[in-house]
Amino acid sequence: MPEKTYDVAIIGAGVVGCSVARELSRFKLSIAVVEKESDVAEGASGANSGVIHTGFKEPKLSLKALYCSEGNRRFPEIARELDVPYKKVGTYTVGETIEDLKKLEKLKEAGEAAGAIGLRILEEKELKQREPHVKGNFALLAPEGGITDPHEYTIALAENAAQNGVIFYFNNEVKKIKRKDGLYTLDSGKTKIKAKIVVNSAGVQAGKIAELAGNRKHAVNACRGEYLVLDKKTSNLITGMIYPMPPEKTGGIGVHLTPTIGGNIIIGPTAEYINCLEDTSTTAERISELVDGARFLVPEINPKHVIHEYSGLRAKTVKAGEANKGDFIIEENPGMFIQLIGIESPGLTAAPVIADKVREIVGRHLKLEPNKKFNPKRNKRLKFSQLSDAEKEELIKKNPDYGIVVCRCEQVTKGEIIESLRNPLGVGTLKGIRIRTRAGMGRCQGSFCMPKIMEIFRELNIKELTLKGCESSICVRDLR
Amino acid sequence: MMEKDLVVIGGGPAGLAAALKAREKGLKDILIVERGDHLGGILNQCIHDGFGVEIFKQALTGPEYAHRYIEEVNEGNIECITNATVTELSKDRILKIVSPMGFLKIKAKAVVLTTGCRERTREMIKIPGTRPAGVYTAGCVQNLMNLGGRMPGKKVVILGSGDIGLIMARRLTLEGAQVLAVLELLPYSNGLKRNIVQCLEDYDIPLMLSHTVVEIKGAKRLASVKIARVDENLKPIKASERMLKCDTLLLSVGLIPENELAEKAGVEMDEKTGGPCVNEFNETSVEGIYAAGNALQVHDLADWATLEGENAGLHAAEYAIRGVRGNRKLKTAAGNGVRQLVPQYYSGKQDLLLTLRVSKPEKNKNLIIRDGDRMIKKTFHKELIPSEMIRLKMTKEEIENTGGLTADVEA
Amino acid sequence: MSKLKELTCIVCPQGCRIKAIKKSGKHEIEGHGCKRGSEYALKETTNPERTLTTSIKVIDGELPLASVKTSKPIAKKKIKEVMKKIKAIKIKAPVQHGAIIIKNICNTKADLIATKKINKKRR
Repeated sequence: MPEKTYDVAIIGAGVVGCSVARELSRFKLSIAVVEKESDVAEGASGANSGVIHTGFKEPKLSLKALYCSEGNRRFPEIARELDVPYKKVGTYTVGETIEDLKKLEKLKEAGEAAGAIGLRILEEKELKQREPHVKGNFALLAPEGGITDPHEYTIALAENAAQNGVIFYFNNEVKKIKRKDGLYTLDSGKTKIKAKIVVNSAGVQAGKIAELAGNRKHAVNACRGEYLVLDKKTSNLITGMIYPMPPEKTGGIGVHLTPTIGGNIIIGPTAEYINCLEDTSTTAERISELVDGARFLVPEINPKHVIHEYSGLRAKTVKAGEANKGDFIIEENPGMFIQLIGIESPGLTAAPVIADKVREIVGRHLKLEPNKKFNPKRNKRLKFSQLSDAEKEELIKKNPDYGIVVCRCEQVTKGEIIESLRNPLGVGTLKGIRIRTRAGMGRCQGSFCMPKIMEIFRELNIKELTLKGCESSICVRDLR
Repeated sequence: MMEKDLVVIGGGPAGLAAALKAREKGLKDILIVERGDHLGGILNQCIHDGFGVEIFKQALTGPEYAHRYIEEVNEGNIECITNATVTELSKDRILKIVSPMGFLKIKAKAVVLTTGCRERTREMIKIPGTRPAGVYTAGCVQNLMNLGGRMPGKKVVILGSGDIGLIMARRLTLEGAQVLAVLELLPYSNGLKRNIVQCLEDYDIPLMLSHTVVEIKGAKRLASVKIARVDENLKPIKASERMLKCDTLLLSVGLIPENELAEKAGVEMDEKTGGPCVNEFNETSVEGIYAAGNALQVHDLADWATLEGENAGLHAAEYAIRGVRGNRKLKTAAGNGVRQLVPQYYSGKQDLLLTLRVSKPEKNKNLIIRDGDRMIKKTFHKELIPSEMIRLKMTKEEIENTGGLTADVEA
Repeated sequence: MSKLKELTCIVCPQGCRIKAIKKSGKHEIEGHGCKRGSEYALKETTNPERTLTTSIKVIDGELPLASVKTSKPIAKKKIKEVMKKIKAIKIKAPVQHGAIIIKNICNTKADLIATKKINKKRR
């Protein structure tokens, strides 16, 4: 079995793991990221709302609040460096009655006390001007709320880390952890990765990983959030994020609507504690709940507009029904094993700050000599559909593969698909292509483009098209 | 900017027929834009027979049917570009086309939209569960097998007993798969009896009426589906749930006309058909833009899609050459028991072909065409089924003094 | 001894439910609505035939398979044998539309015909 030794090994290639990887790659350290699935962002990082939160709704002085507000301030710079999209669309919490208005005013006060800026109460007239399709008479507008593409962000972090020397191991689920002579050995059954320091950013599996390393204190519970994605036809129905009045009976934030960078609207998430740490099913009850919740806010939304359903698992340090919301746990275990436990929302926003904290801890044990070759910049992939006519013409002249539209729903060309397979992480799955190019994310969900992508694989002599790595082959054999 | 007399978007049976008819009418500068590798549209992957029974009085396979029209197009030197996708169509008929030969901008005197249709997906019908490999629409599998030469799986469950599901049940079985069952939500199958016999009975594949899939299970690849019987409101009955172990779920749950271009061009759409509202000239609400074939309304016979294409091509040519337009003065309406009716407008100045579908199967009923209270035409039908398009020819004399037409199914 | 076979007629949309009863070497047909139906039922009972449409492997073609069909219906019981033969064969591109791939395949008296033109692979 292959064995390699690193200064730092990071378990989990979600947004936090990849942020840590990128941060540490600024220094002369050998770094590996060990990921159980076939690509980055296969856990909660790829199944969330994509919101860059302000943090003012988090419990005061919690790590969630502090790291989130700092992360929010730093995101624009990171987004520029990594060429990741970011839009400040604003958040509207919408009410109907005078009681609602009073509650919104209280929310505004609490928000301002927590440091939120620009909060405003909107009367019906202004609400209707800004969001004509939303049903409501009053709203609390938080203009700093923004959105990004969480897949794109995580991919960008990982690609930049890889370009700066980080090695990614995919399809390697850590099954055993041993410690000997100052080194940890992470054993996946396929590879043995040795490291002086291990960072546990395994998300919903972080409790299991901590246990493998001998720390049984951290029970992580899975709280599933289901989402629905609407057809791009509906994208004109909202511009900002639309929330209902915070539900008093059930708690939480209620079913809300978020516009996505890609141009869709997503409904959700729900919140349901489940027993299994792997079950990302969607359920009939929640699907129904989401449609109803969406139509409550925007009556023009129709079940026929739904083109996709998905769900993600939050890593919770608390159990169902607990009043305490739980906070991020960043814990140094002697050895050095750094536990990142309970990184749920606002984890996406807080990621760069968590990465900083990890760097500080690592810095106390290893020499952090700056990597002079570190390049913080990564350029985004070309999106044909976003080019001007002249740019399209020019590109096709250079390479006719850009003149063949493969995914007609999202206007993704053959050139882009081939290019996406040349990614620095070496990912070559259908899902990997989807999150990098948007092919298959449209209303036909790949039923048109999947056979075409299979053809491209055949042309490029790539043996197998899988959905997401081993055991998920699209076809079982050739017909003849 | 390049100029053309006529651009036909989509080189399937309706589009080919439109181009040929336009050429016959004397139109010179015609361009067929086809996004596939070859002309023929969906027929290229329909390797089973049954095409051309009406037009050619033969049961041809899809490729053979397409071949006839493609040969004519080639002989007529009608210009075609393949691997070319129209990405934009404006109200004044300016097209933007992405093709390996370049990014093209064309101004057309007339446009015929024959863009076909796409399939309803698992996500649209919202089957809960996981998202593994192995869940495919029937047309996608048909493509994978017949054009790609790949086998999608070994143990198959098919949801939907329309013809495409039945045809694929047979295809998969002949290629060595085990098709466990074909499930149908309704208490009757929408497929041709011929296909029930030759695709299911011949291979002992059970047809489970009033059943549906309520959950998909499997992490990486499909492992099983949970099925259930449904009640008279089509709601699953919990007590009837059971698991079927399989690695492939084929969805044959409906077709949706492909109309993103039409919608963006501001064409008036019919919610019931999913296609544009047209008059008897197959003219949409936008001047110079015509629609036919599956893009206008889902057809069960390629023959009828072809004739519709001819009509569109004929009138697109008349418009391009002489500026002749139809009107939208009089409306038709789908009444009781009628799900959809095309064309949605007529003039009353010439013979009219009404194409319609009933909402549910009926036996021994009358199809009545009325103008308000006045009965215009009554035809008796021993059997009326939603999956079989009804074509009703109305003469000019019958409709010239009407103010509107409604179609109803009555005892 | 009589053997009973029940079947649905497919000749017209009526779909009559027909019974074919074998009595002392002869078949009696009941339940049909017309002559075509009784003829169909007799044929289905005594010697059911089907047109087979499938694909054959192509070497060096722009597509990996050419669609094929039997030139006329063949005995249903021969389908397995014919499929086995077709699966074992490869033909070289180009394939002409309507070309006879195999004459009198498996002694069915039907030819195997290509229903699609396959050009040689573009280099």
